[in-house]
Amino acid sequence: MASSPDVTSSTGSSPEPAESSESGSTSERRGRVRLRRAAVMAVPATALAAGLMILTAQGALGVQFAISGMPFTVTATELDGKGFAQFGGLDQMAEGSPNEGDTGGQVLVVVSAIKSATLTKLCQSVDLGGTNLLITAGQGSEKVSASNLTTDSTELSGDAAFKNIEIGNDASTLDKAGPGGQGPKGVFSQQADTVHIANLRQTNYATTAAVFKLPGLKLRFSDKGC
Amino acid sequence: MPAFQRWRAARPFWGGLLLALGGAEILVTEKASLKVVMHIGMQGLAGYLLPALMLICGLLILFNPTQRLFYSISGVLLSLGTWLTSNLGGFFVGLLLGVVGSCLAFGWLPDQEPRRRRSWWRRSRTPATPHSA
Repeated sequence: MASSPDVTSSTGSSPEPAESSESGSTSERRGRVRLRRAAVMAVPATALAAGLMILTAQGALGVQFAISGMPFTVTATELDGKGFAQFGGLDQMAEGSPNEGDTGGQVLVVVSAIKSATLTKLCQSVDLGGTNLLITAGQGSEKVSASNLTTDSTELSGDAAFKNIEIGNDASTLDKAGPGGQGPKGVFSQQADTVHIANLRQTNYATTAAVFKLPGLKLRFSDKGC
Repeated sequence: MPAFQRWRAARPFWGGLLLALGGAEILVTEKASLKVVMHIGMQGLAGYLLPALMLICGLLILFNPTQRLFYSISGVLLSLGTWLTSNLGGFFVGLLLGVVGSCLAFGWLPDQEPRRRRSWWRRSRTPATPHSA
């Protein structure tokens, strides 16, 4: 596939040198992108990318998030979760990180782990300095669903209701939220079978390996965040 | 011609560079500590593996341009895969860079004659267009 155009180009252009030398030094022979050749890959790749986006926006495909280091905000009008655990933790920034400020590179966070969650009207924004990257989903009748959601938050607000809550466990003994929902020994924690939070608002430092299904996905830049 | 320009002319420079930059951009958007990733397992690891491979494919296109077809096909598939595994392809930016870079690398051919405007007299002088590809 690669060799045949190479050959034709070199044989077909044999009478060329005389012409090119007269038109100056810019017309030296060199490697170039052939547009039609590039299109052979560009067209199917674009189609595939469009397909992926449409499937994601319909909620048929799940996407993974792993963000860390910059604070971002998540809001939702309603969150329903099965298997909930929460405990305190300390996030360590990379040494000499510009986000360090006066914190000494450490951020005290609340780690919330939910085994499976559904969210209504999810909105997620990252402040990029001047502009916000805004991701919204689940505005319609279909809800956003997430599995193995682990968030490290510095702020969490909302109206919460728990079922079968256990408060004051050692964080290393938690068992209701799956593998991501266990903390270090000797740390205060709580867990519950189900959780319902209305008007959720979180400021997060990290979301790890959560698979999101995002029906009605929209990704855009905006002046203000969620 | 300066040495760098000659080096650049002998390989799909922009293609490889864009693909490598795309991989790097995606990695920057998800710089979580490796401890957390290992804890979560394969599912989380894929999010780092794909952009890392994109970066490597981009560099290999630059330093081993003869194998550009294999690297660019792998590169475009990896770039598309990051939409699912890595923050929607680094919030779309890294995915776009990766796909454009791979296409440029795929469409690149060595030793081409200079581009020139198609004018009627030149066309009439070279009877058949030399490139049918």
